[in-house]
Amino acid sequence: MDGMTYLTVAYLGMIAGIAIWTWTVVNRSRAIESRLAAVEANLNISASEADSISKEQAE
Amino acid sequence: MAGRRAEAFLGLGFLGIMTTLYLGFQWAPSVAIDAFESPAAQRIFYWHVPAAWAAFIAFAVLFAGSMMWFFKRSPLGWRLHVAGAEAGLACGLITVWSGCVWGAAEWGTPWDWTDVRLNTFGLLTLLALFLVLGRQSQPDGVETRDTFSTFGLYGFILVPFTYIATRIWEIRHPGPVVAAGDDGGSLSGDMTVVLLIGALSFTIFIIGHILMSMRITGLEQRLEQAQNHIDGGN
Repeated sequence: MDGMTYLTVAYLGMIAGIAIWTWTVVNRSRAIESRLAAVEANLNISASEADSISKEQAE
Repeated sequence: MAGRRAEAFLGLGFLGIMTTLYLGFQWAPSVAIDAFESPAAQRIFYWHVPAAWAAFIAFAVLFAGSMMWFFKRSPLGWRLHVAGAEAGLACGLITVWSGCVWGAAEWGTPWDWTDVRLNTFGLLTLLALFLVLGRQSQPDGVETRDTFSTFGLYGFILVPFTYIATRIWEIRHPGPVVAAGDDGGSLSGDMTVVLLIGALSFTIFIIGHILMSMRITGLEQRLEQAQNHIDGGN
């Protein structure tokens, strides 16, 4: 392979990596946000009760 | 609000990253034909070096988060730990991938097991992989967080070791090209400008990812709390 082929392979791999990573993170955020909104609206829980593990440690 | 801010950082960083790519191909000068085995492949470094820089930022966040969780039991610390591990893994893989392709073009081999820089950086990326996969496979709890935080704390020793590796043992990986000491490095002015734009862009991008990841961890904790309410746990 010549240098340009290596260059193309490297950048295509990096672009794919960045795109997949960003897409996954943004999608995860939006999906969990909508699930949480639905659950918390029904249960009337506030955001301040978030981390139960830390709360247990503090008590 | 926090989600929009993270997405703004991601968008701005991505724009900068693509600008770096354009400038690296269209504006930055070519290296001398006799300076490298594969002069065209040298342009890989406009993303490779900034990605490595971003990985180091992520590992520093991982270290700070691990400290905050381990010694202060800080929920913010745990979110930083998770975000640092995820961002470190992504940037580490981008760096290793681009480095391997460049190594194949320049050295004729993608990896050299005798090179200290390659191996310590590879270990850092594997550590991030372990932390990300481990957290997903273990139930959340104090013991789990303590264990992974300990790895985050001790693993950070590889960061300064990786940084100085090419200054002490230059085997395969090239030595520093910026901040190289008295001789000022081996880059031309235009190359340095593109590289700095890349470093700034990757920094903004990684900040966006860290903010986004911290937010997801916070949301997951709230969802878990809500599920505990449903199950009658609280």
